[in-house]
Amino acid sequence: MPRPSLGWAISLIAIVAIFLTVKFYFGVGGTGAGGAGGGPGMLAGAPAQSYPVKTLGGTTDSIDHYRGRVVLVNLWASWCAPCRSETPALEQLYEENRAKGLVILGIDQGESATAASAFAREMKLSYPILLDEDQQYGRAYAAVGLPTTLVIDRTGHILRGIDGELSLAQMRDAVGPALAAKVR
Amino acid sequence: MNPRLVGVLAALASVACVLAQDVAPQWSGFHTWQYAATLGLGAIAIGSYALAGRRGEDGTIGTRLVVAMVGALVVISAGIASGLLGPDTEIVSRAPGTVAPLGDVGAAAFFPIADAAAIARGDGHVLLRRRGADSIDIPPGERRFVGATVVELVPRAAAYVEARTTTGDHLTMTQPTNPAFLSPVLLFTQQIALAGKMLPADAFAIPALHRQVKAFYFAKGAPGATGAAHGQPAGAASVLFAVDDDDGHLVPGGIGFAPAGESVDLGGLRLRATLGTYPTLAISAVPLTPALLLGCTLLVAGFVWAFGRTSKTVSQRTPDPAAWSSVVNIESDHP
Repeated sequence: MPRPSLGWAISLIAIVAIFLTVKFYFGVGGTGAGGAGGGPGMLAGAPAQSYPVKTLGGTTDSIDHYRGRVVLVNLWASWCAPCRSETPALEQLYEENRAKGLVILGIDQGESATAASAFAREMKLSYPILLDEDQQYGRAYAAVGLPTTLVIDRTGHILRGIDGELSLAQMRDAVGPALAAKVR
Repeated sequence: MNPRLVGVLAALASVACVLAQDVAPQWSGFHTWQYAATLGLGAIAIGSYALAGRRGEDGTIGTRLVVAMVGALVVISAGIASGLLGPDTEIVSRAPGTVAPLGDVGAAAFFPIADAAAIARGDGHVLLRRRGADSIDIPPGERRFVGATVVELVPRAAAYVEARTTTGDHLTMTQPTNPAFLSPVLLFTQQIALAGKMLPADAFAIPALHRQVKAFYFAKGAPGATGAAHGQPAGAASVLFAVDDDDGHLVPGGIGFAPAGESVDLGGLRLRATLGTYPTLAISAVPLTPALLLGCTLLVAGFVWAFGRTSKTVSQRTPDPAAWSSVVNIESDHP
């Protein structure tokens, strides 16, 4: 019996390796990849993505230009009935809070300036309207429908992402904490 | 047959079967009972020889080959575990700019934003982010081992669609059945029969004009299901659009081919499809790499110990007739 200890050691290694291998596969969770997530609400806390797009005036603008202010991003389109319905409340919110540092960016999704400017004139909008023909913001902000609203704090992080039409009271609730927060 | 030859061949064949999982991880045969049974039979043969070797029935070489047999058993256990317990290969397809949690990988996959040019180039990378570990970048056509899975980036046909009115005004395009509601990129995740052929298909909506559009992808060089009657460009990749109203009725003049990169007017829409590829992920279970390394190390070490050193020792000292006979046996089995 020259090397019984070596044999036992190897056997022990093998048993442990087999056990760990099997345990690993039982330990891995789930049945694979899950879904793409739960819409704009899942973005809370994430840095706000920004893409340069055209304005109604033909210049270029993006969310990044408003760093240091509270930004309410509203993704909309002229054909969208709930967007049309909530727009007067957005305008009122803007009038109430622009002096406190609130910026509202209405980002039209996929339409030309013709349709967007007609809508802005009809609704007498004073907040900036951006034209996102490639729908980049809609994709980046995980829009599952229109309108989609995001509140971005002064540091450029998303506080809330909301799918669907909002009332004026809901809008006030959404931007209130961000406006009240002290600037660092 | 010589028991040693059976054991050695069973070990080599079984290890090769397991290593094949790393070479072609997407093959569904690895997740069948037949594969597991094959490895199980190999394990029985290997185990039998290892026990005999441990009892000294095959002399010094047999005793030393126990190390190799144990290594083979470790590899086999990893192979059976990944085949039977690991998930089947899963294709993860997501819209540009979205994030997919990958439960089996323990990571989140960030799919790249893609505009028309990126789709045409087909060079999008996917980034895997893991908590407490480095991010993993996967370029097109490449793969990365992550734990007990291999994640491979497989480019698949995609189209970036622009929709306008016939006067040129841009229109919002939506995909109501897609989590990426506002994505203008079609990934053709469905297969729909058209004139007896299965074609990659997708759908989108133009809500401003109350239009629903079906899109069928025709690869370059693929014979069209509908032929030249609808103007399919010969040999070029194209998309067949079918424009319906909100009730699902085909709009007059609403069907036709759009060659890659060209605008066509169909049913009151001007549609342009930029064709190319967009990455999807193929996630397959593979044997746990540490187990493979350990098993293969023992296997090689066992063979080297058994055959390498025995031959040298025998030629120098020739103390053991059993060792001679085992060498002779091996040589006679391997002419």
